[in-house]
Amino acid sequence: MDSWSLLLEGFATALQPQYLVFALVGVLIGTAVGVLPGIGPAMTVALLLPLTYTLDPTAALITFAGIYYGGMYGGSTTSILLNTPGESASIVTAIEGNKMAKIGRGAAALATAAIGSFVAGTLATVGLTLLAPVLAQFAVGLGPADYFALIVIAFITVGALIGSSVPRGMLSLGVGLFLGLIGTDLLSGQQRYTLGLLALSDGVDIVLVAVGLFAVGETLYIAARLRHGAVDVIPVARGWRTWMTREDWKRSWKPWLRGTVIGFPIGTIPAGGADVATFLSYATERKLSKHKDEFGRGAIEGVAGPESANNAAAAGVLVPLLTLGLPTTATAAIILVAFQAYGLQPGPLLFESQPALVWALVASLYLGNVILIVLNLPLVGMWVKLLQIPRPYLYAGILTFAAFGAYALNFAVVDILILVIVGVLGYFMRRFGYPVAPLVVGMILGPMAEEYLRKALQLSQGDLTTLVTQPFAAAAYGVLALLVFGGLWLRRRQRRYEQQLTETIAVPITADQEV
Amino acid sequence: MNAPLTGASERAEVTRPAPRVPVSELVFALLMLGLGIFAIVGVFNIHIPVGVQVGPTVFPIFVSVVLLASAAAVLYGVLRGRRAEVEEGEDIDPDARTDWLTLAKIIAGLVAHLLLIDLIGWAPAAAVLFGVVAWALGAKRWWLGFVIGLAIGVVVQIVFGGLLGLSLPWGPALGWLGGMF
Repeated sequence: MDSWSLLLEGFATALQPQYLVFALVGVLIGTAVGVLPGIGPAMTVALLLPLTYTLDPTAALITFAGIYYGGMYGGSTTSILLNTPGESASIVTAIEGNKMAKIGRGAAALATAAIGSFVAGTLATVGLTLLAPVLAQFAVGLGPADYFALIVIAFITVGALIGSSVPRGMLSLGVGLFLGLIGTDLLSGQQRYTLGLLALSDGVDIVLVAVGLFAVGETLYIAARLRHGAVDVIPVARGWRTWMTREDWKRSWKPWLRGTVIGFPIGTIPAGGADVATFLSYATERKLSKHKDEFGRGAIEGVAGPESANNAAAAGVLVPLLTLGLPTTATAAIILVAFQAYGLQPGPLLFESQPALVWALVASLYLGNVILIVLNLPLVGMWVKLLQIPRPYLYAGILTFAAFGAYALNFAVVDILILVIVGVLGYFMRRFGYPVAPLVVGMILGPMAEEYLRKALQLSQGDLTTLVTQPFAAAAYGVLALLVFGGLWLRRRQRRYEQQLTETIAVPITADQEV
Repeated sequence: MNAPLTGASERAEVTRPAPRVPVSELVFALLMLGLGIFAIVGVFNIHIPVGVQVGPTVFPIFVSVVLLASAAAVLYGVLRGRRAEVEEGEDIDPDARTDWLTLAKIIAGLVAHLLLIDLIGWAPAAAVLFGVVAWALGAKRWWLGFVIGLAIGVVVQIVFGGLLGLSLPWGPALGWLGGMF
């Protein structure tokens, strides 16, 4: 059967009323939680993981697809509408939307972000549909040494390219690898680093680590330096007519398409995730725009392009995740955990063993995009209300749900204790500039890397050269070198670019504050 | 604020003059180095079964090397003056100092929550956690957090415990409610 008829069957599954409800609920909750300030996509997905425990695998994954896309989109609403003057300069793409809102064009900014996300998300999902089966077929022929090479690529790109300093990223990765070692070695049955504690003999649950780092650690980090006082949300004009003018459409459609073209490929390769894609799109739009003077003061292209790139990258990330079982971002790593919770191992074999499930998931990605655009614009009023939740209650709620998620794993109090310990570790990592995403990726991929490494060495009877002499593995290491150098170069440019940009728009920021 | 803001990094330098020797950063990096040493020492405590060619110690050695090398690189960097670059966030006040007291209260709230679950039931324990955290973060009416927390706790308990079958303990106060499911 070719992939189109499989996809149609997927739609037949995903369009069943009960699954449609799950997709709707997933998008709603994902967006709602993603809109909450201080919560990024990784934290959204980690916090909502426990919600899916009680569902059957198909329903859970469909809900999760909705949460993933909703969470990705929700963040842009926050950065457009929340008036936090100092912060906007640190995220290059949040600037334009925020500026547009300040000059009364918030509705247009939200609309171009929503429609751009829809266009990019849908086109990128088409890309996923076309690319994934081909890649999966190819990946079936890969041996353990090849897989080990792929995982090493993921390790090094994630460790070196996420965060601000290479050694700190690699250290974070190392801690994750170490946490993955704790427990009983599956191949030989030996205990490793358990300190004789029974609670550790099954290893540390990755869900505890993900929720602990993203929810508890992040909350502690914010709590230590919380911005007190009233929450300042920029008001948005209601009503359909103010959304987008003919001029806005004319200026938006090309950035949407360019953002897609930039975002999807970058999402599929492990090169630092959506951050790089949004930055590249922003730089491109600024260069190509006929309204260069508006950049830094609310140019609609600067919202349309990066938002599309962000969503296209989000879909692109699913390609290596589904076909190779390789998560290249923290969010993808947590989705991998969701799969594993149901005994499913993403990878080439998943397409053969569970085609119905995989294609229902892909179909629900298309549906999730449609639901997103139908819901988001009319519900802007509700998202604004969410932004106004008083911070003490907001963060109390986040911690309560984090503790609930930890407890719901095994109904053991000791899990909450582990959660707190990981949370404190996460706090100090954030405080001292260590990125936490490599830790989560390392902890998930570490055991897989070890399995492939040992399989490869057993096949070669201990000959280490087997790791680099397979043609695919050798090529992979070559690509790795290119990726790392290219990525580091890009990041350097990005930082310089952001610094320049901050300097050029520094004056308008202070002017706004004084008004 | 008189001076125009010219960027996150510069503002941080103006408001928080960094000490010459970043003691806490060094201590954290040293702890990580310690973790690496612990990992490499631990390798020798792993029993290798007889006749296994690629045993359970191969990968731990690799991990230990990653830990030790990167921790050493971070230490070297910090000593050379390469300080941490911390991220900002929507709700973070870039000019605030670390509020250790609030952090201690929140941790205490979490620990109280985990100790109380089996004693007073999940929903009341959730109310304690929610209330303590809201109070620690400066909620205007200190009791409101406990009320909201109890409401959320009871709803979660009914939906997840009662209807979806997660075994959250009901506790003595809500036992009658649990009996209804």
